[in-house]
Amino acid sequence: MTLALLAQGIAIGLVNGALYILTALGLTLIYGILHIVNFAHGEIYMLGAMLVYVLFVALQWPLGLAFVAIIAAAALAGLAVERGVFRNLRGQWMQLLVASVGISLIIQSLSWIAFGAQEKNVPSVLPGVLVLAGVRLPIERLAAAGVALVLVAALYWVVYRTRTGLAMRAIEEDEETARMLGVNSDRVAAIAVAIGFILAALGGAFIAPIYSLNPGMGLEAILMSFIIIIIGGLGSITGTVLAGMLIGMLQSIGALTLGAEAAHVLVFVAMIAVLILRPQGLLGRA
Amino acid sequence: MQRSMIAAFTLAAATLTALPALAQEAFKIGNLSPLSGPAAAFGIGINRGIELAAEDVGTFTVAGKQYKLELTPYDTGLDPGKTVAALNRAVLNDNVKYGFILGAAVHGAVLPIIRQTGFFDIFMGAAGKEITNAENPTVFRFMASSDQLYYTFTPEIYKKLGIKRVAFMGPNNDLGRSDVRTLKAVATRLKGQGVEFVGEELVEINAKDFQAALLRLLATNPDVIDTNASPTGTVGLIAKQARELGYKGHFISSTAVLEAKALVSIAGKGADNIVAYRIWSSPPSKLYQEIADRHEKKYKEATLGTVWEAYAATRWVVEAVVKAGTFDSKRVAEQLAGSTFQFHPYGPASWGGEKTHGARRQIQTPLPASIIKDGKWEPLEVKMGTLE
Repeated sequence: MTLALLAQGIAIGLVNGALYILTALGLTLIYGILHIVNFAHGEIYMLGAMLVYVLFVALQWPLGLAFVAIIAAAALAGLAVERGVFRNLRGQWMQLLVASVGISLIIQSLSWIAFGAQEKNVPSVLPGVLVLAGVRLPIERLAAAGVALVLVAALYWVVYRTRTGLAMRAIEEDEETARMLGVNSDRVAAIAVAIGFILAALGGAFIAPIYSLNPGMGLEAILMSFIIIIIGGLGSITGTVLAGMLIGMLQSIGALTLGAEAAHVLVFVAMIAVLILRPQGLLGRA
Repeated sequence: MQRSMIAAFTLAAATLTALPALAQEAFKIGNLSPLSGPAAAFGIGINRGIELAAEDVGTFTVAGKQYKLELTPYDTGLDPGKTVAALNRAVLNDNVKYGFILGAAVHGAVLPIIRQTGFFDIFMGAAGKEITNAENPTVFRFMASSDQLYYTFTPEIYKKLGIKRVAFMGPNNDLGRSDVRTLKAVATRLKGQGVEFVGEELVEINAKDFQAALLRLLATNPDVIDTNASPTGTVGLIAKQARELGYKGHFISSTAVLEAKALVSIAGKGADNIVAYRIWSSPPSKLYQEIADRHEKKYKEATLGTVWEAYAATRWVVEAVVKAGTFDSKRVAEQLAGSTFQFHPYGPASWGGEKTHGARRQIQTPLPASIIKDGKWEPLEVKMGTLE
């Protein structure tokens, strides 16, 4: 393998890793704060992507307006799901899990009806390739990777630098004590779910021009998100970043050296290895 | 009195009008195809081909009874497990004994059931003699097989485009593995012309990111990447991502009916120099154009690639059933294998495969090769050989 090939492989791994982080971030937040394994995450991701198609391509809204609408719709959906479902089942992990699977199936079934079965495509808004020292980087992927990093930073800021974030961490630590200290846990939970949904929808929205879309695309996203948060440590934002990059690199360098089939297996081998050697994930708490 | 007379006449008139409808029975044709997911356009196209054929066939008589075609669709998602479940449901619950089954990759799982039940498989898919052979007398491939296309087209295309180094990227299912074997055999046969098989990458059927795998493949410097066995959306993504990595060569998709518009919408200018067999850049017959016009009028969109072949297959099978005078699938199969058909939109159709597959179960029609230039299919003038 030449050095140029290796450099290109590393670049692909890093950019794809950032895309995986973008996909998994919302799932991490909702689990991290509320300990809810939100199976509907993949469907919100899919809806984010589909809404870009509907608003920007089909209805020809300006892209900025489409993104504002997507963020608003995701926030409202998050608030509705938290108030209507999650709040009533808080603390009952199995019921919550089944409920989120149900929400996922409902959204997916309705989406097949609403969007149809044919693949949709969003034309590239940022076409072209940036060539840096012989390494080729598609601009739309770079932009999505940049958004992923900005969203990670924003999430850090919200969780670790704001009063709402402090309240989130408090209810994550001990909800009852947090309530006794005056934290409105219902309000904080609603905000956390809304942010989680916004992150999922933005993940889908930014990935829309890179891949083709269909209502079943959420399944692959949720599978990859689970692998990432299991490896990184359930609920750990830093763990998600680390695991996303790790998976991106493992797939890229694995495919480059051993082929695509072997690289696919490598990801699952890594997940099983982490589960055996460090069940709480690389940066998760025991 | 007058009122009861009117009522009696009305009842009699209603009964008489209803009689032909009551006497008509349904001849159910299943469509066990992906109706969702990346390959959905193939399955939806088959549904529409059957519906258009049903309009033209109208009612027909078998053993003195009147029948009308009835489409029964099943979404398989191109998944072998779901296809097995759909076939069991069709045969055991819904009394569907004839149907389209799309995808060579799902056939390994369903062939034992077809052999056991005598289900008449109107097979739409690639691969070769592992599916259409003497052991599976009720399986007829109504589109070109991989070996047919590879052996009859590929040498000519390679010569015309100056292709020497050949690579393959396709799904890691039965079809992908079968096609890469065939392609390697063709390349070996063309060694004298300087053709060399340089690399292969098999990926998950639902994969959407091929960059890393492409990078490994592009390091072998191919002149062409054969993307056979992948649906339109996947081929578009492979083309887009390969161009992003600096690839300037050709892509060849032998068996999938690709939509130029969809490819261009995904890959933009990167879709140029995608070569496809079975794509007509201009209508080969009046019937072809008529079907396209009717499709666009009825479904309000451009004709999906599988519509024409599904239309012809439905009409040909009904013709064979009528001539055989029975729905017994083995007798219909015998009747069909010995027949020719004039209403195929691609031109006169017959059956081949006796020598190469061991049974006359492989359709033979005129076929074109096309290439995308400036976002549109253009004819790639090459002469196609025959399967035998």
